[in-house]
Amino acid sequence: MHRRHYLHAYLFIAPVTILFGLFRIWPSIQTLYFSFFNVELLKGRLTFIGLENFVDLIHDELFLSAIRHTLIFALGIVPISAALGMILAVLFNEELRLKEFFKAIYFAPMVTSTVAAAVVWWWLYNPQFGLFNVILKLLHLPGQPWLLSSKMALPAVIIFSIWKTLGYNMVIYVAGLQGIPQEFYEAATIDGAGPLHRFFRITLPLLAPTTTFVFIYNSIFAFQAFDQVYVLTGGGPAHATSVVVLELYNQAFQRYRFGYASAEAMVLFLFILAVTIVQYVYSRRTEVAY
Amino acid sequence: MARPAVVPAALEPGRAGGGLAIPGTLRWLPLYLIVIVGAVAMVLPFYWMVVTAVSPATDIIAFPPKWIPSYLTWEHFKEAWARAPWLVYYKNSLVVAVVSVGASLLFGLFAGYAFAVYEFPLQNVLFLLILGTLMVPVQVTSVALYVFLAKIGWVDTYLGILAPNFASAFGVFWIRQAIKAIPNDLIDAARIDGAGEVRIVTTVITPLIKTTLAAVAMLLFLSSWNDFLWPVIIINSQGLRTIPVAIALFKDPYGNINYGPLMAGTVIATGPMLIAYAFSQRFMIRGIALTGLK
Repeated sequence: MHRRHYLHAYLFIAPVTILFGLFRIWPSIQTLYFSFFNVELLKGRLTFIGLENFVDLIHDELFLSAIRHTLIFALGIVPISAALGMILAVLFNEELRLKEFFKAIYFAPMVTSTVAAAVVWWWLYNPQFGLFNVILKLLHLPGQPWLLSSKMALPAVIIFSIWKTLGYNMVIYVAGLQGIPQEFYEAATIDGAGPLHRFFRITLPLLAPTTTFVFIYNSIFAFQAFDQVYVLTGGGPAHATSVVVLELYNQAFQRYRFGYASAEAMVLFLFILAVTIVQYVYSRRTEVAY
Repeated sequence: MARPAVVPAALEPGRAGGGLAIPGTLRWLPLYLIVIVGAVAMVLPFYWMVVTAVSPATDIIAFPPKWIPSYLTWEHFKEAWARAPWLVYYKNSLVVAVVSVGASLLFGLFAGYAFAVYEFPLQNVLFLLILGTLMVPVQVTSVALYVFLAKIGWVDTYLGILAPNFASAFGVFWIRQAIKAIPNDLIDAARIDGAGEVRIVTTVITPLIKTTLAAVAMLLFLSSWNDFLWPVIIINSQGLRTIPVAIALFKDPYGNINYGPLMAGTVIATGPMLIAYAFSQRFMIRGIALTGLK
């Protein structure tokens, strides 16, 4: 009975399989392959150089600082964005007027193009006339150099990214909260537990799987950050905000070092792989049954 | 609708705890305050984008800031419009989004059906291989993909922009999940009625999973519309720029003060999507939350 459908099955999956094979899987294999080569695209020449690209990477101050910035970027965004998302979700779990309206507002940056939003923030961060410094001046506080200072540029990019991703985490937590049975709260309340107690003893632990998902998902996105850095700082000032994808982009498409950039891409892949493995192991351990 | 959100009156915090009877409105006040202050902060960039775009130049750099323009001007829009071929950018973004959504849905529908309904050799291997591509984002493969497309002459073409977006692993996955939920009897009944497999997919399955298809379509459209890294890599000529690429490069020639036209440009770039969102936010929020963006 099934045999009859082999032809259909393979015909039906053929387009997806061929397209993925050509444009996803083949480039993935090529990335690994190129990372051991010196790739000269214009001359069409590949020179095998073994691990030289990777050895160079370890000594490449620019790449190492790009990794550092990427990690700081992730460590800055993920916990704050997750915590704010959770707080908002808990608030929205109460009876609020215009709840859907407010949720839509918090979520709006999520549907906006990162590039366009970053252009707007670039204006807001302008040290002379930008709105942030204007507001600081209204409050009689000193204006900040924001994107122009190598100390403040990365935090400024992080603040933008939190604003951009907050709504997503909020919605995920709202869904997570709806999975917690109401009886738990009722029982705890009868036992005399106050609101804070209930939050830390019921909500927080039972949201652990959601929190794991939010952390993993946000980390992977933070590792892949490119758009906002490209627009807000271009990696500057003095490479203070250069992140891995931007560094990779510059090596490949500004300096045409495709082999070296492939090695950098492999490092990025290892980061994503590591986080995914952590998620897999962790989600097996924390499966919650109600 | 099992929504555990509403705490029964008798169990509300402050009453059950130990007789701390605070009047209703007072108890909600801080809650509203937090939500409203946060919402104002979230909206501020959008608001300032629009205000800057329609304010006269003197307002833009005024102190104290002009929260409401002294008069409305369309000057910045005229300048932004004259400086860049926005209609071409719109057309490019639309072509890329429509083709990639259409192809991903069509191919995803048949592949999802095959993975959900049939049993065939290598089924699981192929399915895992397709899902595995989610772990290798275009950020990782962009260099090798560029080298490959350069060889076949797809650099700086529509085909080049579309190449990694002709099919979507998320699309295949979600469509398969939706089809798995359809009882096999229904498909068998259609077969007994003499319907061919292609007709079953197009006339029996498609109407049954249209909610999933709509959510996947919206999601793919949004991520294509806002995509930046791959288009900026593969496009050289101005005539092929999509909106995000256009707005990023539109920013560059500007000095320190000329923010009016720049904000008019971002309004032109983000306006349609924000309007679409205003009309369908529930659908979009649910779709993005359920399937995970991109």
